[in-house]
Amino acid sequence: MPGSTTYGKGLRTLSLATVTTMAAALALVFFYAPVDASTGFVQKIFYVHVPLAIISLCGFVFGGVMAVGYLRTGDRRWDMRSYVAIHMALIFGIAGLISGSIWAKASWGHWWVWNEPTLVSFLIVLLLFCTYQPLRFSIEDPERQSRYASVFAIVGGAFVPLNYLAVSAATAYVHPRVLTLSGAHLPPSMGLTFVVALIAFALLYATLWKYEMTAKNTRAQVRRLRRTLLGDDIARPAGRSAAPS
Amino acid sequence: MSAILAAAPAVPLNSTAGHYVAAAYIVVLAVILIYVAIMATRAQRLERELEQLRRDVEAAREKEAPGNGADPVLTTAERKSA
Repeated sequence: MPGSTTYGKGLRTLSLATVTTMAAALALVFFYAPVDASTGFVQKIFYVHVPLAIISLCGFVFGGVMAVGYLRTGDRRWDMRSYVAIHMALIFGIAGLISGSIWAKASWGHWWVWNEPTLVSFLIVLLLFCTYQPLRFSIEDPERQSRYASVFAIVGGAFVPLNYLAVSAATAYVHPRVLTLSGAHLPPSMGLTFVVALIAFALLYATLWKYEMTAKNTRAQVRRLRRTLLGDDIARPAGRSAAPS
Repeated sequence: MSAILAAAPAVPLNSTAGHYVAAAYIVVLAVILIYVAIMATRAQRLERELEQLRRDVEAAREKEAPGNGADPVLTTAERKSA
């Protein structure tokens, strides 16, 4: 890894901004946003489920963009950024999927509806990116691992907006389409709450991404230091790893 | 989370809808907490690795220069402060 990058810079400020925005979002959800007239109190799940899903999908695209950086420069820091972006997006995606499933059970009486394009397409994207880690793990050579993983991340990242457009064109059966290409169909109070919640989850994603990058960067630096001070053999990782070294 | 929900006005915690909303928020919170716990474990492992590295470097120094008069157990910073 040429040069050195510090990811911890600004992490404290970002963490504070996240906590503040998250608290504001929760306050708006439970004290300001009105209870939905048609679906009732269950609609409050919307303020966590939709931002989680949006940030997760954006995270996959972000991972693809970082992967382009790796293929262009060959600098493995870009691969690490892409890896962490996808890793975080998966965590957000799983949380979004579970919260959506709870909402589905409360609203429709089913945990999952297989003939709903929105749900199934999100699951397909999530399962696609679930194969990212096993793909990395299956390739032992770090250089090849980074290259193949980057190609996967770019193709997967490009698939996300295409998938969204395809779902937008499809017929919705039960899943509400509040956010469409023509804009959001929400009352102002709900819209404001949703935007604040979206910012809060975006900040949370950025904070956790930075946090994990800092941890991985520190670990890599310790390994490099060990290699420099004590020799190459001792510092070699114990086994094959899916994470960029 | 329960405290926030209880303090909020008109939160039907005793209804089915309230239970589902609480469950969704708790799941999200739990996922974040699990992630933070995993990161904390990794941070502890990193701390141990650093500690091991410090010990190894000191041992290597001790092996290389046993009679140079300097205390090999002390690091440069510790020697300065002493």
